[in-house]
Formats: sequence, C-alpha cells, structure tokens
Amino acid sequence: MTPRPAHRGAGPLAWCAILLVTTLALYLFQHVLWLVLPFLFGLIAYYCLYPVMQRLVFAGFSQTQATNLTVGVFALLLCIATALMLPRFAAQVVGIQDTGQRYLQGGLTLLDDTLRALESRSRLMRDAHVADTVSAHIAEAGDRFAREELPERVLGLAAWMPSFLLGPFLAYFFLRDGARFQRYLARAVPNAFFERTLHLLYEVDRTTRAYFQGLIKLTVIDATFLAFGLWLIGLSSPLTLGVLTAVLAWVPYIGSILGCAVVVMVAATDFPGTPAIAYGAVGLFVLVRLLDDFIFMPMTIGRSLKMHPLVTVLMIFLGGAVAGVAGLLLALPLLGVVMVIGETVSRVASDPRLRARHAHARALLQAAVTRDLV
Amino acid sequence: MRFFGRDDLSADLQPLRKIRLFSTLTARELKVVLALRHERHYLAGEIVFDEGDEGQAIYAIADGEVEILRNDGERTQRLALLGPGEIFGELALLDQAPRAAQARAGSDCRLVVFFRADFMGLLETHPKTASKIALSLARHLGARLRQANTGARQDGHL
Repeated sequence: MTPRPAHRGAGPLAWCAILLVTTLALYLFQHVLWLVLPFLFGLIAYYCLYPVMQRLVFAGFSQTQATNLTVGVFALLLCIATALMLPRFAAQVVGIQDTGQRYLQGGLTLLDDTLRALESRSRLMRDAHVADTVSAHIAEAGDRFAREELPERVLGLAAWMPSFLLGPFLAYFFLRDGARFQRYLARAVPNAFFERTLHLLYEVDRTTRAYFQGLIKLTVIDATFLAFGLWLIGLSSPLTLGVLTAVLAWVPYIGSILGCAVVVMVAATDFPGTPAIAYGAVGLFVLVRLLDDFIFMPMTIGRSLKMHPLVTVLMIFLGGAVAGVAGLLLALPLLGVVMVIGETVSRVASDPRLRARHAHARALLQAAVTRDLV
Repeated sequence: MRFFGRDDLSADLQPLRKIRLFSTLTARELKVVLALRHERHYLAGEIVFDEGDEGQAIYAIADGEVEILRNDGERTQRLALLGPGEIFGELALLDQAPRAAQARAGSDCRLVVFFRADFMGLLETHPKTASKIALSLARHLGARLRQANTGARQDGHL
C-alpha cells in the first residue's frame, strides 16, 4: 500500500485565509448586493424546489420537463401572490411614515411606562432620571429614523424588487443545468485530484441543500408558532408578524432582537396602557427561541455547517462591521462555502501523493507530446 | 444551443452500451445514466487510483486498457488487465472501504466514472434503473467470487 499522510482538516494558516477571503468577499458583495441577494434567493428557491422536481422525475418526466413544470408553477404562484399583495403594499407605502411613527411612539410609551415603574421602586434610578434620559435619547434617534431613513429604505426596497425577479430565473437554470455545470467544472480538475475533489463537491452540495431546506422548514415552523401565539394574545395581523419575524431571524442575533422589538411595538400600539400584552409577546418570543434552540433547530438545520461557535460569532461580527446588515445575513452562508472550498484546496493540494501523481501525469503528457521532437 | 458542452446523445450513448454494468438498460434509462456520468482520459502509465485510497466512484473502460496492480512491499504484482466494457473499483458503489489495489492505465484510455453519491440519488429518482445496475453489479461480484474460489481450489487452498 502506498504510504499516505493522515487526513487532517484545514490548518491555522488555511483558516486565516478562509476568514480573510470571506471578509474580502463580503466587502465586495455589498457593492453588488442587487446581484448577490437575488442569487441567494435563487439558491434557496433551487434547494426548496429540488425535491419537487425530483418527484416529477421519479414520476417519469424528463429533467427539463420536470424543471419547466416546477419553476412554471412556482412562478405562477409568485405572480398571483404579488398581484394580491402589491395593491396592499402600495397603500401601506403611502402611509409608511405615519405608520412607522405611530408604532415607534407606541413602543416608546411602553418603555417610558416601564422605566417610570422601575423608578418608583428604585431610588438610584429615580435620582439618575433614567426614564427621562433614555426616553429623550431614543425618541430623538427613533424620530430621526422614522422621518428620514424609514421611507427611504422602504422605497429602496421597492426599487430592488425587479432584481429579485432574477431569483426564480436563476433557480430555473440551477435546476436545469446544475448537474451539467458540475460536470463541466469537474473537467477542469486534473485526474490525480478528480475523485477526491468531486467527492468533496458532492459533500458541499449535500450540506448546503440540508442547510437551506432546514432553514425554510425552520422558518415555516417559527412563523406558524409565532402567528398562533400572537393570535392567542390578540395582536393584529398575527400571520404577517409571524412570517416577518421568522424571516428576520435569518439575520443572526440582530434579526431576532429586531423581530421582537417590532412585535413589542405593535403590541404596545394596539393595546396602549396594557403592558401585560407586550410582556406576553416578549414571553412568547423567548419561548419560541428556546424551542428553536433545543427542538426545532436540531430537527431541521442541525449542525449542517459544522462550524466552531467561536468562528461563527467572530465571522458574524466581522460581516456586520464590513458590510452592515447584508454582511450579517451573508456571513454564515458565505463562510460555509469558502470554508469548504478552502478545506478542499488545503487537503487536496497538501497531499504529497496526489501532487506526485499529478506531476507524473504531467511528465507522461510532456513525453507524449514531444515524442517526435527528439 | 450547446451550453456547458451539451451532450451529443447518440455518440455519447455508444460507449455506455458497451459497458457490462449498463448492458441491461434501455436507451431511455441509459440517457438517465448519461446525465450522471463523468468521462476522463488517462495516458498509458497514469495512475487512476492508489491502493488505500477512499473509494468514491466506480470506473468503466470505454476505450483502452487498465492494469490492476498490488504492491506487497517488495514487488508489484499484476492482478488483472482489463479491456473495453469492463469495470473496476466496483466496491466503491457499495461502501467507502479503501481501494484494495492500484489501478493504472495500461494504454491511453477513456474511462466512464460513476460516483456513489449519484448512484444513491438514482436509487431515489429512478429505482428501476438503479436496481438493474445493482443486479448487474451483484452478478459481476458473483462471477469474481467464483473466479477467486476456482483459483483458490487450483492453488490447493480449498
């Protein structure tokens, strides 16, 4: 048997390179977000539609027929949903400034009430005028955000809508040509590295599929639980709020806090003077998060990315610092992809036997093409 | 439109038809396999895989010859010389066990490569096709076992 070095993961240098490349990619991506986000949504749509397409293939359709049918039905449903939602969304956009300020005011009133209740019980807080100071600062910042930034951001999101149409289009080509593209890429891999590299690519595909399908399942479960809980509490639009907060949770850490803040603001506005409802919403949020961490997440996403928690947290902070909210959203999926590519290159290129086999193959090729030149 | 080198079906199906593992498949089933296979070219003397490598794929010879070799530490022994239509590395389709021998191109050759992950996918989407391949593989392994038994009898081990 040929002596082989033991299989090892990426070393510290490779890990530094992985983090550096991910950070650089995040920095670059924030400048082409109009393309990156539709690509990400296309990828999510691809992994969600893939099982449907496979079922059609199993039923006897060809790959192309199954892809056409799957994406066709998906696009039709998307069009119907857009046609139904657009008038409502347009009506909301007109009054977005007033709505934003109303909900913000509701949230501030709740905060002020809570702080004053605490002040009445704590002399230290009362002497420090915590309620007045905090309320004044938050009111000023919130008012500026609602007046200046919120309408601009919502209109910016509306301007982005056409580029999101790229999502289903990309998903179609991923479904139809994904396997062919993989084979096309595989041709570029030299014979010596072929089997090992392809195996790792299959692993990447399997892991990414498990991650995105798990993410969608988790979002559906979260949205259902939150909507049901909010409906029980008596909040308005529980389904919309449930879906919104479940999707916001895609942005690690900050997304959950933001989702909770939105629900609390809605609760405080819908039921002014009844803080128990808002506290109930916070309690529901904490409960769903706990269920997520201990039951739903292991059931759906599991440990599909197999990353160390320290690296995960570090990368999320780096992503946020380099590319803002987009960086927070993209940090983990991008790190997952760069990590697997980095580990593959590191493992394959550092295997002396594989390098020797590749050198041998090159020498054979050189001899073959120069045979008649001697 | 030829996109990412779209397959020329009639030309690409020909080598697959000659491979024993796929000999029982219909033209329609072969098209399914065609979409999953990789094709590699090796020069005479080039190593396809080493003994001890983690096996992930089965290889079939479309053109040329492949030697199956085993090194006992002192000398290299040739176990078999395989020609067009024959398969090797077949145990990789069943498990991830290390390769039992080295495979080296005996002449310039063209190989068809089929990964276990794709075979597992085929079991999900096209169970009938996958069953036919599995049956051919079982027959092939049975023939190998009988051959080994006969060899052992002749050597007086049985």
